[in-house]
Amino acid sequence: MSEAYAIELKGITKTFGSVVANKNVDLNVRPGEILALLGENGSGKTTLMNMLSGIYQPDGGEIFVDGQRVSIDSPEDAKRLGIGMVHQHFKLVDVFSAADNIWVGKEKAGLFLKKERNTQIREMALKFGFDIDPEKKVYDMSVSEKQTLEIIKVLYYGAKIIILDEPTAVLTVQEVRKLFDVLRKMKEEGHSIIIITHKLNEVMEISDRVAILRKGEYITTVDTATTTEQALTEWMVGRKIDLNIERTPMNRTRPLLEVRDLTIRSDAGSIAIDGVDFYIRGGEILGVAGIAGCGQKELCEAIAGLRPLEKGKMIHKGENIVGLTPKQILEKGISMSFIPEDRLGMGLAPSLSITDNMILKKYADTKGPFVDRKIGRADAEEVIRELEVVTPSTETPVRRLSGGNVQKVLLGREIKAGPNVIITAYPVRGLDINSSYAIYNILNKQKQEGVGILFVGEDLDVMIALCDKIMVLCHGKVMGVVHAHKTTKEELGLMMTGALDLTYKYEDKPAGLAKDTRFGETEEEAAE
Amino acid sequence: MKIHIVKRDTCPFWKKCCYYAGAVLLALLLGAALLASMGVDPIAYYTRMFTMGTVGNKIAYKVWINYLKELVPLALTSVALSLAFKMKFWNIGGEGQFILGAIGAAFVAVKAGPILPGWLTLTLMCVAAMVVAGLYGLFVAALKVRFGTNETLMTLMLNYVALYVLIFLGEDKGAWNFFLDPDSLRPVFASFSDIISFPSIPMGDKFSLNICVVLTVLIGVLVYVYLKHTKHGYEIAVVGDSAGSAKYAGMKVNTIVLRTVFLSAALIGLAAAFKVGTAGILSTAITDDVGWTGIIVAWLSQLNTAVIFVVSALICVLHYGSTVAAATFSQVDSSFANMLQGVILFLVLAADFYTRFRVVIVKKGGKDNG
Repeated sequence: MSEAYAIELKGITKTFGSVVANKNVDLNVRPGEILALLGENGSGKTTLMNMLSGIYQPDGGEIFVDGQRVSIDSPEDAKRLGIGMVHQHFKLVDVFSAADNIWVGKEKAGLFLKKERNTQIREMALKFGFDIDPEKKVYDMSVSEKQTLEIIKVLYYGAKIIILDEPTAVLTVQEVRKLFDVLRKMKEEGHSIIIITHKLNEVMEISDRVAILRKGEYITTVDTATTTEQALTEWMVGRKIDLNIERTPMNRTRPLLEVRDLTIRSDAGSIAIDGVDFYIRGGEILGVAGIAGCGQKELCEAIAGLRPLEKGKMIHKGENIVGLTPKQILEKGISMSFIPEDRLGMGLAPSLSITDNMILKKYADTKGPFVDRKIGRADAEEVIRELEVVTPSTETPVRRLSGGNVQKVLLGREIKAGPNVIITAYPVRGLDINSSYAIYNILNKQKQEGVGILFVGEDLDVMIALCDKIMVLCHGKVMGVVHAHKTTKEELGLMMTGALDLTYKYEDKPAGLAKDTRFGETEEEAAE
Repeated sequence: MKIHIVKRDTCPFWKKCCYYAGAVLLALLLGAALLASMGVDPIAYYTRMFTMGTVGNKIAYKVWINYLKELVPLALTSVALSLAFKMKFWNIGGEGQFILGAIGAAFVAVKAGPILPGWLTLTLMCVAAMVVAGLYGLFVAALKVRFGTNETLMTLMLNYVALYVLIFLGEDKGAWNFFLDPDSLRPVFASFSDIISFPSIPMGDKFSLNICVVLTVLIGVLVYVYLKHTKHGYEIAVVGDSAGSAKYAGMKVNTIVLRTVFLSAALIGLAAAFKVGTAGILSTAITDDVGWTGIIVAWLSQLNTAVIFVVSALICVLHYGSTVAAATFSQVDSSFANMLQGVILFLVLAADFYTRFRVVIVKKGGKDNG
């Protein structure tokens, strides 16, 4: 071994069923450096880090800590080896104070709560320049305070290697700056830090080296000083693969769905979508690009009537749809399908059969008190045949199907309903190439039939090939709407990270306002 | 060496049956060991228990009539609970709802019994019991829908409120208390069995089938159809499976919750009306613990309406049979059935675990691939 690494991974492989999350990944971290781990969603970053922190065990490969080969079987093992992870979703006890949250996981804490714990923890917080009150209860803390507490926790347990999973996703700009100061201080003390992030500007600012994963595979590690954001994007997204997705020319119709000055709050209460304008015409696919969690989910839910608006207007074919129930919005022909990370959370009832899921939105349309499963079964058979869903029968619970087939069932049902606007988020999430193409074809066919499609996506190559226009979101704000055939991935990447703002690229009007808007027609309604 | 628990993809039906049968058998063996340690011949005891003393009994028909009297409230309560459970609404308040239903039915029996014709009184008893019990359940559902309170705690605590209301009615000798027997010096509940009672349909020369049994089976069929084939049943399944998807599909989730919980509690009230209407008297032990046992039955049956009838019939054999056997084997208390039931439940749940997971033993370090 030529160089001493704090942590070295060799040939790590991890599979979940048939999904390969990590394939032969090599990674090393020097003592006292900040390594950024970069990759698209689903490229296996979190899985890899979970193996370091003992949550998962690798199927193959070796882990070395300080040159010693180790086997990390549990979070306790990781703790003993000095590896600490700050998860994206905090693991804190709400009703405990800061000090007690740290105390509760201490191995030799003894049976009794001792008074010194507060002073001890205050002293150690001061050492690193943290500003925290050990006696404050977690439920009184802001998001950034909770994160600080998580970091103090891993430091207190003696972690020398600290993993941060998207720590900046939930923070404001000022809080990010503060966090980075802390990270630099920790680095000076000789800690090694692995930071997972999507934001290239942050990578450039904080890291010493960058390791890149793509689709579960290790691509390369580069020195931050000698690279550029463009180069990183290219590594992360991969070479342009020739997608033979035909972008059918669109027959412009007047806008079907128009949205003005839309502001929506997230579950946590922060502004998720901030003053967004956009419109969708019939026969066009509008892509929505953005790093994960920058308001895509909230946007989809708001259009479907599942989330209240903070402010803003939405009209469909000139009629106001703000304040309508999800059912009324469905009846107008707006269909929304959102594929969350767990793929089953929204839109499907996982324990019910395909037939039962087919009738989810229209079971009430038939007369009488009984459910007509004949319609559902016929629909199920049709979707199974047309979209080549692999399933033992129409009566199989959706939960039993593989991810791709679940998504086909969901999208198949939405299309069966004959909508005029389709909102679809991550329809190819976690799908292999073939299933993905099947989904693209379905969407293209709908587009040809004059349906307006809002496509919230992750893969920029696909979006450039498939969409007509692409709207880029950054922190809930629109960075511009660009024509897909004129843009480049680099441009989109810069817009996604907020480095490039093309909102006023076209001088005559801001992006997202249609020339032939229908807003004037409904002045009275819209004014409310 | 380490033990890993791995999820099974599927478990064939026959294998499931084997697991469950094995669990029951194991429970009986454990019971047998206990019996043997008390100096009782387990085979003789089990024979007596499972035949409920019908063998060689001249009045075996009476055994069956009494057995059915116990079965009706249990089966109906389990069916009612399964409605709420299907929606993942954990109604632990069967006891309380049953008690309030019983008080409602007794109120009608005492007040209207002497004035109105019998069939009308019985109908009113059922209606009153269903409304009172239903509202008791609805109250909890409304709190959950409005304030997000935990229904398990609420229904559980309300059980005791109901129980103490009943005890109060049984002990307060105030002049207003028409539930008590006016001729007795000590406070005892008044019997109204000579005023009103559910009729029986004579079958054969001696045996007669109480109308409540027929009604219970009928309701069982209706609930089965309700859950399997109606829109309401479909909504219950979707809300129980994924409330998010239900909202997304445009369902009025709150309405569905309120409606279903009311129905669940109302059916428990009906079970109470059946019980009161055949017993002809209130008692502080009127529930016979069906609110608790019903939960066990519903779970053992995995909320399948048809299976609920089978399981409650078996549990009743256990209870009734152990009472009969206690008469012969004086050293074994009749609560032996409760213990046996607990062991069966425990082992069946364990078997259920094995139908869904496999236990794999991993040697430490073996996964490193060297």
